[in-house]
Amino acid sequence: MAQLTDEIASVLREEISRFKSGIDVREVGRVLEVGDGIARVWGLSGVMSGEMVEFPGGITGLAFNLEENSVGVIILGDYLKVTEGDEVKSTGRLLSVPVGDAVIGRVLDPLGNPLDGKGPVVTDLRRPVETLAPGVAERSPVREPLQTGIKAVDAMTPIGRGQRELIIGDRKTGKTAIGIDAIINQKNSGVKCFYVAVGQKDSSVAVAIDTLRKYGAMDYTTVIVSGASTAAPLQYIAPYSGTAMAEHFMYNGQHALIVYDDLSKQATAYRQLSLLMRRPPGREAYPGDVFYAHSRLLERSAKLSKELGGGSLTSLPIIETLEGEVSAYIPTNVISITDGQIYLQPDLFFAGQRPAMNAGISVSRVGGAAQTKAMKKVAGGLRLDLASFRELEAFAQLGTDLDAATQQRLDRGYRMVELLKQGQYAPMDTVDQVLSIYAGTRGHLDDVKREEVADWEKGFLTFVRDQVPELRARIDSSKELDAESERQLEAAIAEFKRQRAAKGGEARHLAGAR
Amino acid sequence: MSRSNTSHSEAAHVDIAADRVAKVYAQAILEAGDAATCTDAVLGELAMLAQDVLPKVPEAAIAFASPKVPADQKAALIDKLGKGRLTPTTVNALHVLAQHGRLGILSLVVAAAERLADERAGRQQAIFTTAIALGADEQARIVADVEKALSARLKPAFVVDPAIIGGLVVRVGDTIYDQSVVTSLTRLGGRLHQRNIQAIQTGEYSWHS
Repeated sequence: MAQLTDEIASVLREEISRFKSGIDVREVGRVLEVGDGIARVWGLSGVMSGEMVEFPGGITGLAFNLEENSVGVIILGDYLKVTEGDEVKSTGRLLSVPVGDAVIGRVLDPLGNPLDGKGPVVTDLRRPVETLAPGVAERSPVREPLQTGIKAVDAMTPIGRGQRELIIGDRKTGKTAIGIDAIINQKNSGVKCFYVAVGQKDSSVAVAIDTLRKYGAMDYTTVIVSGASTAAPLQYIAPYSGTAMAEHFMYNGQHALIVYDDLSKQATAYRQLSLLMRRPPGREAYPGDVFYAHSRLLERSAKLSKELGGGSLTSLPIIETLEGEVSAYIPTNVISITDGQIYLQPDLFFAGQRPAMNAGISVSRVGGAAQTKAMKKVAGGLRLDLASFRELEAFAQLGTDLDAATQQRLDRGYRMVELLKQGQYAPMDTVDQVLSIYAGTRGHLDDVKREEVADWEKGFLTFVRDQVPELRARIDSSKELDAESERQLEAAIAEFKRQRAAKGGEARHLAGAR
Repeated sequence: MSRSNTSHSEAAHVDIAADRVAKVYAQAILEAGDAATCTDAVLGELAMLAQDVLPKVPEAAIAFASPKVPADQKAALIDKLGKGRLTPTTVNALHVLAQHGRLGILSLVVAAAERLADERAGRQQAIFTTAIALGADEQARIVADVEKALSARLKPAFVVDPAIIGGLVVRVGDTIYDQSVVTSLTRLGGRLHQRNIQAIQTGEYSWHS
């Protein structure tokens, strides 16, 4: 005990001896009014837009509106503790969050404070929340694929590292599931993942975190939470702070993936702030710069040039539509900013097609450049085929007389739809995807019953894994499907079909005997 | 002495819209004063009215502010009040304020006019806060030192606040130069706190050995 006392005393003595009582210079203002997460401040005449200010008790704010006689401040913290007449200090700094390896595996609030009860985030590395996006010269084209592990996405709307792919759809159509699956699939790829939950129910966020933990994804994932009960200012900055944390890895030559779940809630929070600040409302009462709010956020996702280390930040923003209305203000804005969208439809979802992706209007503007050669070869044209199948299907329901060619296209389409169904939290390896889609698009499933497609696929993938591992290894290493691999694959399919038929005959025989 | 100080402590109740209106009238009054070369006299008279006369006669203040009192009655009152005592520009200014129903913000107009006049003369309002009252020569010395350090002309006001324990706090505009004992102690406390948190985080302390 005596030793401890000495230790503390020596630390105190050392600190005091080193303490220089310099002049504390600060610029101050006074709170005129406060409420709903914002404060109007008198004074602070030298404060700059976006500068961090400090309220008593260490609560921070952000200078948001600079007016002739007052400053509008958004309060990042408990605004109920700020009262009229409080002194506000300008800090001369921008808002920043902790970054680096220390934030990996953590659940944080938008200011970088821990929410998971695992102690403080110990790091000296910080990054400003709002930074400029890399310019034209600092980027290189998106070429490398980012595998989501979802057959439908990887085959039809491939996502490249550095791309922004929007996930859009009504409520309960599996938008979050795609984001979470994409994160789970990054397990051995070295991609750092960030899941930004804005305006979500805390129960949903808890489920998402639990899922990530269960599938071992929290080892490389950071969750930034600003739930439905947090004040609008925090919901507004959450995507920016998540991006700042992710950018750190991009600028250090690594790869990162960020899921914004969802940006419509962020736009709503921003609308609330802007209206409280008396900025003029525009369409749907959103402020005029809501487009800029999203574009400056999503522009920060990039693939950097070789000179800058070649890191990348891929983003999957999520937008929730109302009754499939994609022409509302925020959806059109974000569609125009991103490099493509995955459109999820409720009727497909309820018809059992999950992921409920509408192949016709889902696109990826990066396209085949972000696919492996093997995948490009087997999946080329799949999206358009599927889209035309949907048209044909609607048409075929009118009459029964169909010519053989049409019937054949329909049969192929039904089987492709079956093949693209995939369970949640079951990401698939790229080679497996190539093998399945090859079998489907080359018509090897045409003679399989629709309800047996899933079973056939499972059996076939196990067969290849167990009996022709050299084929898998060949495709895996070359990422290509050359003539030799294709020949082996054809042979493997024929052999599998033979074995399956034999097994089926045996089963039928046994059933008949009994 | 501490009029400017009260205006600062009342800042919490500032009506931004009224303040903006007051600024416009203040500028007009200053310019009218300049034209008639009696700016200082006008300012002094208006300040005297707003700060000394009206608080003593609350009925007059109410009558000035009330929209119930017709403009011509206010005008008559102003004429009676100003006759022979106030410069014509002051009387005119009061008339204009009365006509537009702005006599109620007279004190704001005066404060704004004083700020504007200070700004024009390159003077800045400064509040010196100390724990004990200072003598006149000490005050003069401190003001001269601060003026030299900031290379600015100051319009000083002095406040005594024992809560700062010791040292000096100077407020110029919105900037505070704080060398009070209480702030130093708070900072030292914060530093020690931080230092200990850091030590615990990095495992520097061997608490359990």
